Amino acid sequence: MLGFSDTWVFIGYALTVCCTLFCLAYGIINWRKGITEKDGDYREEIRWEKEEIELIEKLP
Amino acid sequence: MFYLITFTFVYLAITVYFSYLGYKKTTTVSDYLLAGRQVHPVVMALSYGSTYISTSAVIGFGGISALYGFSLTWLTFLNILVGVWIAFVVFGKRTRKMGKALDAHTFPELLGRRYESRFIQGFAGFVILVFMPLYTAAVLIGISRFIEVYMKIPFSTAFLAFLLITACYVIWGGLKGVLYTSAFQGVIMVVVMIGIGVSTYSSVGGIVPGHAALSKLTYLLPENLKAMGHSGFTSMPTGGSSLWWYVITTMIMGVGIGVIGQPQLSVRFMTLKSDRELNRSIPFTALFIIFTTGIAFAVGALTNVFFYGRFGQLSIQAVSGNVDKIIPLFIDIFYPQWFVALFLVTLMAAAMSANSSQFHAIGTSLSRDIFEQALLRGRSVAETTIVTRVGIVFSIFATLIIGLLLPESIVAIATAFFFSLCGATFIPAYLFALYWKRATKAGAKASILCGFFLSLLWMLLVHEQESKAIGLARYLFSSDSLLGHPWNMIDPQVIALPVSFVVFCAVSYFSQPVKTETIESAFRHI
Repeated sequence: MLGFSDTWVFIGYALTVCCTLFCLAYGIINWRKGITEKDGDYREEIRWEKEEIELIEKLP
Repeated sequence: MFYLITFTFVYLAITVYFSYLGYKKTTTVSDYLLAGRQVHPVVMALSYGSTYISTSAVIGFGGISALYGFSLTWLTFLNILVGVWIAFVVFGKRTRKMGKALDAHTFPELLGRRYESRFIQGFAGFVILVFMPLYTAAVLIGISRFIEVYMKIPFSTAFLAFLLITACYVIWGGLKGVLYTSAFQGVIMVVVMIGIGVSTYSSVGGIVPGHAALSKLTYLLPENLKAMGHSGFTSMPTGGSSLWWYVITTMIMGVGIGVIGQPQLSVRFMTLKSDRELNRSIPFTALFIIFTTGIAFAVGALTNVFFYGRFGQLSIQAVSGNVDKIIPLFIDIFYPQWFVALFLVTLMAAAMSANSSQFHAIGTSLSRDIFEQALLRGRSVAETTIVTRVGIVFSIFATLIIGLLLPESIVAIATAFFFSLCGATFIPAYLFALYWKRATKAGAKASILCGFFLSLLWMLLVHEQESKAIGLARYLFSSDSLLGHPWNMIDPQVIALPVSFVVFCAVSYFSQPVKTETIESAFRHI
């Protein structure tokens, strides 16, 4: 098993690769999804961004 | 030295440029609206990844991997499953929406506004202010160990010098435009780590021969490690042994699960404009993690093959027991000088990107969460700027003192401590804030306090790794731990997290819910 002496290490190794592939697939499948926002979000974006800039300004 | 000066100069020049560029881009709201200030998914992924993965992962956990072997692969798995997919999909999407709806800008502020509690915001800020410097110190120790080995100077000199560089970077603009600089730092990390991974595996003859060569070194294990349950570099520790509990609950679960409660990471989700950007970032972040931690842990374990081939001894023996020196020594001995200099710049990038986010979190915790909300009851005053600076100067000094006081082989342990503490303290309140409308202020308060104090008590009186060093348990009860095996090896988070979950549900069930208007406002985009 890939030179490992323990099945559990092999499973961990394999799951790491599988999980990365799963994340790749998830990103590709949902590449165009999630753009629709509800009403009012735009105004919130402005408010939030203004506040964020003020917060950044206070940093050294 | 020529390579080091050249690479450092180029690196710093580009970092300063990106820092300026990022800052300039955030100065006008119209820029944001017109140009979109759309964070490219790759930028978001690199930025999140380089904040998440620091010198602590490469030097600290790489060294731990050299000691305990490929069992740390499970941590890479959790880094991707929990630290990427669950963090982005389960937590990130709702954090972004709720953060905007409640106009929250820090992690404590999100919790405080969701539960209508200044106490929660202030207390969460307090936890960050007091305990994050430990993690900051761990990150700096990581790079300082490398400088110590590479430049043959004392550790304290290396630590002081690099802290000074980081302090200058943070004070003169390092915190502004963090997104772009950390993305650039992330690129360097990925490229160099891939180089190390490919060269290491090809030097040992490939993946399977490399692992097989490592398996053959099991007989060299010191007797004390075997007695603790170490059964080889390509095996998990013996089930139920003290080492098994330590590796699984502290090294793997402590960081693997605790990442959800990391304040400097969760705020990243709020900077995104839509779920689409989040979805697109997931593959790149996963690749970033596997190329950095995955390679660091694998190379860490394989260092044993190199040290055995050259010196006839295991990595841990080659560094006289200081785990944090294994990766630095390995790179210094087995790579050409130009690459060693490049690796040092990589560590610089890893340390700076993590540190700037940490100092950002500490500074805003003191000014916004503790000073403005908890002490001034929500009033914003001009003095906040001074308080933020005080907070950052405080954290730099705290990092300095902690870094010089901490013992050897501490990088991974200190990191796991902070992740574990944050996990037990914040995860239930954070999860229920996003998913359970019936979650109450009293439930959140009780859960946060319970998670925090139970973790601390467990560390002081039961978990032998800390209780032995602190000595309170011995002073009070004439024993290093109040409970025997396996309890003395089980990480505080494994105990405190389930308890704080139960406390949250029980107290919420019997207490008044948060006002309907607040709930409606918080969940209006979800």
